[in-house]
Amino acid sequence: MSIVYDEAQQAIASESRRILDARMESARLLALLERTGEFDRVFWSTAVEQGWTALAFPEEHGGLGLGLVELGIVAQATGAATAGAPFQTSNYGAGHILLASGQADLVGQWLPRLASGEATAAVAFAEGNAPLPPRPGCAFAGGRLAGAKPGVASALAADIAVVWCLHEGRPALALAELAGVSRRAVDSFDNGRLYADLGFDGTQARLLVAGEAASELARDALARMAVVTAHEQLGGAEALMFIARDYANTRRAFGQPIGAFQSVKHRIAELYTLVEIARANCIHAASREGRPDFLSAAAAARLSATEAYDTAARDTVQIHGGIGVTWEGGLHLHMRRARSLAIEQGNALFWEDLLVDELAGAAA
Amino acid sequence: MNDLDAYRAAARDWLRSQLPAFGREAQAGLSELDHLALGKRYQRAKFDAGYAGINWDPEFGGQGLSPLHKVIFEQEEMACGMPSGYYGVSLGISVPVVMKFAQDRAWAKERVLAALKGDEIWCQLFSEPSGGSDLAGARTKAEPDGNGWKLNGQKLWTTYAQFSDYGVILARNDPTVPKHKGLTFFWLDMHAPGVTVRPIKLAAGDNHVNEVFFDDVKLTDGQRLSPVGGGFGTAMATLMIERYSASDPAGFGPALDLFIDLARNSEVNGRPAIEDGRIRSAIARTYAMRSGLEAITTRAMRMMAAGMEPGPEGSLNKLVSVRSRQKLSELAIDLMGNVGLAWDVHASGKDDWVASWLAAPTGRIAGGADEMLLNTIAERILGLPQDHRPDKGVPFNQIPA
Repeated sequence: MSIVYDEAQQAIASESRRILDARMESARLLALLERTGEFDRVFWSTAVEQGWTALAFPEEHGGLGLGLVELGIVAQATGAATAGAPFQTSNYGAGHILLASGQADLVGQWLPRLASGEATAAVAFAEGNAPLPPRPGCAFAGGRLAGAKPGVASALAADIAVVWCLHEGRPALALAELAGVSRRAVDSFDNGRLYADLGFDGTQARLLVAGEAASELARDALARMAVVTAHEQLGGAEALMFIARDYANTRRAFGQPIGAFQSVKHRIAELYTLVEIARANCIHAASREGRPDFLSAAAAARLSATEAYDTAARDTVQIHGGIGVTWEGGLHLHMRRARSLAIEQGNALFWEDLLVDELAGAAA
Repeated sequence: MNDLDAYRAAARDWLRSQLPAFGREAQAGLSELDHLALGKRYQRAKFDAGYAGINWDPEFGGQGLSPLHKVIFEQEEMACGMPSGYYGVSLGISVPVVMKFAQDRAWAKERVLAALKGDEIWCQLFSEPSGGSDLAGARTKAEPDGNGWKLNGQKLWTTYAQFSDYGVILARNDPTVPKHKGLTFFWLDMHAPGVTVRPIKLAAGDNHVNEVFFDDVKLTDGQRLSPVGGGFGTAMATLMIERYSASDPAGFGPALDLFIDLARNSEVNGRPAIEDGRIRSAIARTYAMRSGLEAITTRAMRMMAAGMEPGPEGSLNKLVSVRSRQKLSELAIDLMGNVGLAWDVHASGKDDWVASWLAAPTGRIAGGADEMLLNTIAERILGLPQDHRPDKGVPFNQIPA
């Protein structure tokens, strides 16, 4: 069943929106685009100060004991402002995996620090273009990790990484501290995401879980992170829809607001349909965490949110004409974020296949 | 289990018990008139079981429950494929208008009860040859005639007019004022002298719509449902009376499961269709869209249950679902290849891809064309400007044709 936000959740939504509106400046975000290795520290200190880093972790580990619904609400506000640091999602994913692995010492060591925002984590699943390769090339043996992970979000600055790897011929999840690990910065079109190519070369690591349990946990964690990211995409798409609407209402051509032309107004109305479908899927998916249909709900949220944000970016820039493609106009912040978020947590090609496997049974 | 869940379970049980008498198998192969008779018996069975007028005033024969109860019953009913279509407009649009606006209240009570029992069917006479989307541009004339009115003109696309006993109609009483201000709303007897109904065969082979001609049809002033010249406002208000109704994320076409079954049992160029990326993408995208529409509906129902007003996003269902059904039906026919060329004119659009595809364009036009729905979203929800309308403020008889 889909949910209706309660008063506390609505308060989180309006408060996170208000704070980010006040603190985000497009000049600062634009400057970050040309600075590899930097991220928006104003956002991260805001997230720490507001307790957003602690939202979805249990109270006994320094968290606030809320869940995916609340984390999604904050992510939506973050997406609307093209704010954010990639840890917002990856800290949650890594923390969830640590908790699920049941390794008490690691949970005790890292969860409180992740919850307070003092430590940051990356989630290194993807290899090549595969978000979760069935036989990862990265290997864990004798307490050490070897292999490469390309373009890992957060990795340039994170303290630890949860790594999808192969252990005794079976998939596994391992935890590595990144202090001594080779991290090659990726000069990216969305630099604030701190992408790095990680190279493990006998890196000390701890095995978290192996075999079928690791596959299930990795899929579940990726789906959880995808639901957070889908909310962020939703926030971006909705913000763009309103930006397009406001521009179409004020910009005049041929003696009338351009929003009076159906080619423009219908484009914006179509964005509304995509945004509302994505919103409904996001809220629904967040309310299904831990249920048997969570994977398909997450996939639906992810697919519709990716479509909404990509389309909104494309069409909003188009509706703006020349001003839409200037550096200073800043719409490209959304355009860039739409694509970087479309790749983080797995591309649409991955989620389409996963969803059909869920609906039709895995193709033999 | 809460009350609503219990209500749903009871409705489901009752519907299941009616399947042998009224379900798809009972409908198979019936002639048009036999099918209508079955539909009438089904409506009577609903009335007797307390599933007619679910959210209507008990004084008018209703059950006095909430709109939510009605939507729940409709959702369950839709899944059973019952022959309820003859009453969609009658009980969904026309009769609520009569219930609310008819001058003779005793007469209104009689009609509402007869309609709920299925004995009488009402149609809605809005669209005309000169326009469907442009409702306020109606040309059918209502001229003062003694103490009453005289009706001349033509309506078009009138659903089930050929089976209807009564209708509600929007007609022009004054062509010298701007178009929205010269319309009046009436009810009329479809069997009255001067009313001629001709069914129109549609592209899918069915005859559910009609053209209706009026040749000096006499109306008393008691048949007026709106102030003189105030018909457009009343027409708009009536569309809000029954604004909550069950929607179908499948766009009234086949369920996605049927497409998945088809893909499981087909090959594409020698490889299983269910492994083909194009087919998988269509399944995934369609599922994501439909699950979003379902979640919108569920959320709206939860809000209604909590006494809140659902958001306007419920209005995008038809726009999104029907055109998606059209494309999915095309792809299903592609998957069937030469086998997909067969056409069973009696097949149902809910389980046959060809029937679904053939009738899909009707769904994108009837009850608000896609383009009008986009205008509504843009103007009413998002606050974008109205289109340029050269007829605005111009007396109706001076609008360039």
